[in-house]
Amino acid sequence: MIECPNCQHKNLDGTVFCSECGTQLSELHSIVTQSIPAESKPLPPVDRMQTAAYAKQLDTWASLHLLDSGQILPLGDRTEFTLGRVSEAQPIMPDIDLTPYQAYANGVSRLHAVLKREGERVFVMDLGSSNGTYLNGMRLKPNTEHTLNHSDLLALGKLKIQILLKNS
Amino acid sequence: MAKNTDFYAILGVTRNASQDEIKRAYLEAAQRLHPDKNKAIGETEIFLEIQQAYETLSNPDRRKKYDVTLPKEGISYLPFKHKIYYSRPNLVRMDEPQMLYILLEIAPQRESEEIPSPPLNVALVLDRSTSMKDEKMDVLKNAAIKVMRNLRSQDIFSVVTFSDRAEVLIPASIPYDKRKLESRIQMLQPSGGTEIYQGLRAAYDEIQRNIGQERTDHIILLTDGHTYGDDQECIDLAEQAAKQGIGISAMGIGKEWNDEFLDTLAKSTGGSSRYIARTEDIQKFLVDKFESLARTLADDVILEIKQTPGAEMAYAFRTQPETGPLPIEGSIHLGPLLQDSTLNILFEYRIDGAMTSQDVIYLQRGQLKLSIATLPTPLQPLTVEFSREVKDDPGEEPPPAKIIQSLGKLTLYRMQEKAHMEVEQGQFELAAQHMKNLATSLLAQGERSLARTALIEAENITKMQSFSEEGSKEIKYGTRSLIMPLE
Repeated sequence: MIECPNCQHKNLDGTVFCSECGTQLSELHSIVTQSIPAESKPLPPVDRMQTAAYAKQLDTWASLHLLDSGQILPLGDRTEFTLGRVSEAQPIMPDIDLTPYQAYANGVSRLHAVLKREGERVFVMDLGSSNGTYLNGMRLKPNTEHTLNHSDLLALGKLKIQILLKNS
Repeated sequence: MAKNTDFYAILGVTRNASQDEIKRAYLEAAQRLHPDKNKAIGETEIFLEIQQAYETLSNPDRRKKYDVTLPKEGISYLPFKHKIYYSRPNLVRMDEPQMLYILLEIAPQRESEEIPSPPLNVALVLDRSTSMKDEKMDVLKNAAIKVMRNLRSQDIFSVVTFSDRAEVLIPASIPYDKRKLESRIQMLQPSGGTEIYQGLRAAYDEIQRNIGQERTDHIILLTDGHTYGDDQECIDLAEQAAKQGIGISAMGIGKEWNDEFLDTLAKSTGGSSRYIARTEDIQKFLVDKFESLARTLADDVILEIKQTPGAEMAYAFRTQPETGPLPIEGSIHLGPLLQDSTLNILFEYRIDGAMTSQDVIYLQRGQLKLSIATLPTPLQPLTVEFSREVKDDPGEEPPPAKIIQSLGKLTLYRMQEKAHMEVEQGQFELAAQHMKNLATSLLAQGERSLARTALIEAENITKMQSFSEEGSKEIKYGTRSLIMPLE
């Protein structure tokens, strides 16, 4: 039996969503699309204040701190990552699938934005998403690169992500 | 077109067809194409080919010699592929029962050449009872005219109207003189009661006139009311239609129609049911439906199953292209496979503890039957097997994202289903609680208006011991449409 953390209903083993209240019982931890090396497993939630120190310990050039769930997604060693959500019959897959973090409910497009590193500089570019990309509250012009600094707050639609950079 | 030299394809039988089947196919074709009867140019040549094919295949010796010369029937020719996703890497050895979810995905697969969609053979069944008067009737007429104008040149179309009795407004035909037919639709006047069986029966007869012609056969029912006393006859007719590969889809307009009844009708045939809350949306729904019918690759995908005692399929739901519950036994009509979309079915299995003494559990060995009208050779049924190993450890792999996505939304739909059942059983407190839980989950997913409706219904259940007709449909079809693929 699996006891639902939300309503204490006892569900049969193997149940994925609580039949009483709809809470997800099995944690969806790993990311779905390929191309990401194994180290990009989400790390346990951390307090927002500790993130700077945290980022220094990581050996990746950038990490995504998902503010709603508190989880941190370290990015791999490639210099470019597309962010979005995977859905049916989609010709181009994003490098990072944000589906597990309520991407759809938050209005994330299938190919929403791209993160890029050029030497020491890091950029974000909106890919013409439906609900826009916001950098520290300002809506970005689509298809234009914008510089990112450590601890910048990025919103894909309503999905809030704090950017953690190693060279901060 | 290259000359067809595959005798099996010419006769339209599979390579393992029995002598009887070959004979039957030959007689049927000969009747249709005999030089005394045929009209179209070139049919005499086809007839000669059929004769040649039959002469070879009907003789076992000649057939054997001929078979050797055939190229191997390559898997690469299959115009579709299927994939099975399991919610867990393996089952666990334990005494308690456990759950397993399986997603069956059937996708069209185009190799070298495009397979065209078959032309339609569609009957529209329009409710013209008194309640349809004024605006509803006008919108309905315009919608019917619109879809008729949109038909392709080979599509067969018919319109049946009904109240206490049925009337064939446009007999099944390729509508050449559309203007004349439009004026016939325009003259439609509402009056009388709602007897759905009359309408369905007349539509079924219209479809029959052109059945077996390699078309997508479908009946679309539009109604705004409850039918009186002929529910069972309708359901029997739907089952008969299903056997002939005729789909039935139903659209309920407004709030006063029986959603469970329309669901049952649609479910047994692989069709779908829709809720049209606002009159002005009738046209859009109808046009969409015709467009999806016109994109059909295989109009009747069937999964023949046999339940395994102790590891039973407890629930089946089509999550794409049109969402809807499915039956869980016998020949399940999964619905159509479209050119540009996958057909996805989510199954729930409950496995008894006693079963887990085995090392591998075979949950299902079913046959997937799919026929594509525009292909010369019938496709071999495909064996689809659901099986899982049993281990002591649950394994760490999380369920595939595809299952999580559909199942999360399906859980919401099932919560309202559960609340409905509880209301029926008089467990009002439980039902109200489930609607509140549903509201919370909906809110968490940003579905505010649906969440509000769920809360209002929770209150209705507490106070009036029933759902409101409108709210109940809004939640049922609202949660159902959440399951649909996202744009």
